[in-house]
Amino acid sequence: MWTILGLVVGGFVLSGVFRSSVESDFDARLKFDLDGMIAAAEPGPAGQVSLQGRFTDPRFERVYSGWYWQIAPEGKSANLPQISRSLWDHTIKVTDMVTRGGVQWSHGAGPEAQHLRIVSRHVEFPISDTPSPTDMQGYRFLVAGDSTQVEDEVANFNATLLWSFVVLGIGLIGGIFIQVRVGLLPLRRLRTALARIRDGHARKLDGRFPREIAPLASELNGLIEHNAEVVARARTHVSNLAHFLKTPLSVITTEASAQPGPLADSVVKQVGTMRRQVDHYLARARAAGAVNALGNRTEVSPVIEDLARVLGRIHVERGITIALEHPNGLCFRGERQDLEEMVGNLMDNACKWAASRVAVSARGISGTLLEIVVGDDGPGLSLEELSHIGERGERLDESVPGTGLGLAIVRDIARLYGGSLSLGRSSMGGFEARLALPAII
Amino acid sequence: MRILLVEDDSDLQRLLKKALSDAGYVVDTASDGEEGHFLGDTEPYDVVILDLGLPKMDGVRVLEKWRQENRTMPVLILTARDRWSDKVAGFDAGADDYLAKPFHTEELLARVRALLRRAAGLATSEIDVGPLKIDTRASRVIVDGNPVKLTSLEYRLLSYLAHHKGKVVSRTELVEHLYDQDFDRDSNTIEVFVGRLRKKLGINVIQTVRGLGYCLDDPNAQNEDRAKA
Repeated sequence: MWTILGLVVGGFVLSGVFRSSVESDFDARLKFDLDGMIAAAEPGPAGQVSLQGRFTDPRFERVYSGWYWQIAPEGKSANLPQISRSLWDHTIKVTDMVTRGGVQWSHGAGPEAQHLRIVSRHVEFPISDTPSPTDMQGYRFLVAGDSTQVEDEVANFNATLLWSFVVLGIGLIGGIFIQVRVGLLPLRRLRTALARIRDGHARKLDGRFPREIAPLASELNGLIEHNAEVVARARTHVSNLAHFLKTPLSVITTEASAQPGPLADSVVKQVGTMRRQVDHYLARARAAGAVNALGNRTEVSPVIEDLARVLGRIHVERGITIALEHPNGLCFRGERQDLEEMVGNLMDNACKWAASRVAVSARGISGTLLEIVVGDDGPGLSLEELSHIGERGERLDESVPGTGLGLAIVRDIARLYGGSLSLGRSSMGGFEARLALPAII
Repeated sequence: MRILLVEDDSDLQRLLKKALSDAGYVVDTASDGEEGHFLGDTEPYDVVILDLGLPKMDGVRVLEKWRQENRTMPVLILTARDRWSDKVAGFDAGADDYLAKPFHTEELLARVRALLRRAAGLATSEIDVGPLKIDTRASRVIVDGNPVKLTSLEYRLLSYLAHHKGKVVSRTELVEHLYDQDFDRDSNTIEVFVGRLRKKLGINVIQTVRGLGYCLDDPNAQNEDRAKA
């Protein structure tokens, strides 16, 4: 856009400069001819003027050639104007003169509707045959040229200028287009590589980048690696913390159980509370570090299959049938451990409460969301119970083992990922949990 | 019943050993993965309780090696690692059950009983052998509706035979499963205990299979089998 504008402005300026140059050249020629004509003028005894043979230019001899001269007496003289042969029987009338450089410049009409540029000068000659030596006869010497020549030259120049600028413009735009395409190619590759990381297809920026972008790619790779290291380190610390907290808690519980009494009861109860809190915050801490990490992608099918296999063995004595329905290729935009934590808790809950059947289904519900539904054929929950369940530490039945935090943890992790958990009644008559999570389709 | 407890925390190991011993099990202990693997590989255990975070060799690796070596005893994983990925890894390595720390001792004992029962192919915690009823949950023995008081070793002997109901159990096998590894193993003492047990029960449920060992079975069923023959 700016290139085209620059070329147009440049074209106008060049054309203007050329016109000015051609006009001044034309004017110089006119002035030169006028000076030559005045120099060749010889006054006669009666005040007439005659041009000596020195001023003979073929341009002024050819009729209507576009080059004319005229010597017109001024004042009361009865002499007729002398004209060049090229004027034939025309005379040139001079009006609206502008004085510049000691001569008068003007425009006028010539024969055959020619548009003339005229330069003239007033010259006085003495009249030798009068008694008074101071009597003078004035003449206006003028030379005129057809300014169409100037216009033709300018038009020719403008035509050449136009097509050469058009060619230049096309070349420049093509060059800029190629430069932008080629120049931005590495950036486009960078964008594609980043998209691959965001979609979980790659763990770092792959490919060779030019010198200007290589440091950026290297820094990004460093950042991604650092991020992954921080998450891994945080997970290790959390895991170690879990180990170092839970083993002493086990010792306290076992010791207290071995010595029944009010103190032991209180210790066991408090340890239970501590365990619930530790489980909750450790699960949150594990999830929080990974939520915004680049490049996380977890296929849903293997996770559900692994969990179903494990839960089938944990609840082997209850003979629970776990029906799975999940399309291959459905991917969660997040860490595998977090998906396992959420779906594992939901499926474990369902297995604990189910009479004989648990159904798990997963599907993509939009371009960016997937839904995992876990239902059972157990007793289900009333509307009032549904409104309370999932709150931290809320347990509806102490007879089934669990921390009472399963659903709260699921809800917390889902929210960290921008997803949601909704609870309701299953078509099999029992409890149903619907988990909506960000997806990579 | 003989249990191997692999736990690196000495306090927890001591307390669990006591709780399991009090429940009538013979308990061997190991404090690291290598020792645990060696014991599980060389001694016959009815159940193994295995921690995952062990020094020298990780619990999952220990379990994998046992399964590769065709050691099929039931294994209960006991660990502070309670993520589902850990559970999946544990079960895939060959675990039979999984208990997360911290836990109630009663829950651990219930899980151990369930594993023993499943390994014996029994559906409930009560084992009926004709007029004899053994409640493994309460460690009680009832004959014709009357409770019978047994010593710890007598109960362990009867319980082991009951978990292998109808099968011949050698005296060596009984010694291996009723005493820990440090015991001076003299299989003649088994004969003494079997004699005492028969006297206390007052019914003929423990048969001596000459040259092979003992078999616990319903006397009426045995008679019916003989009649058919």
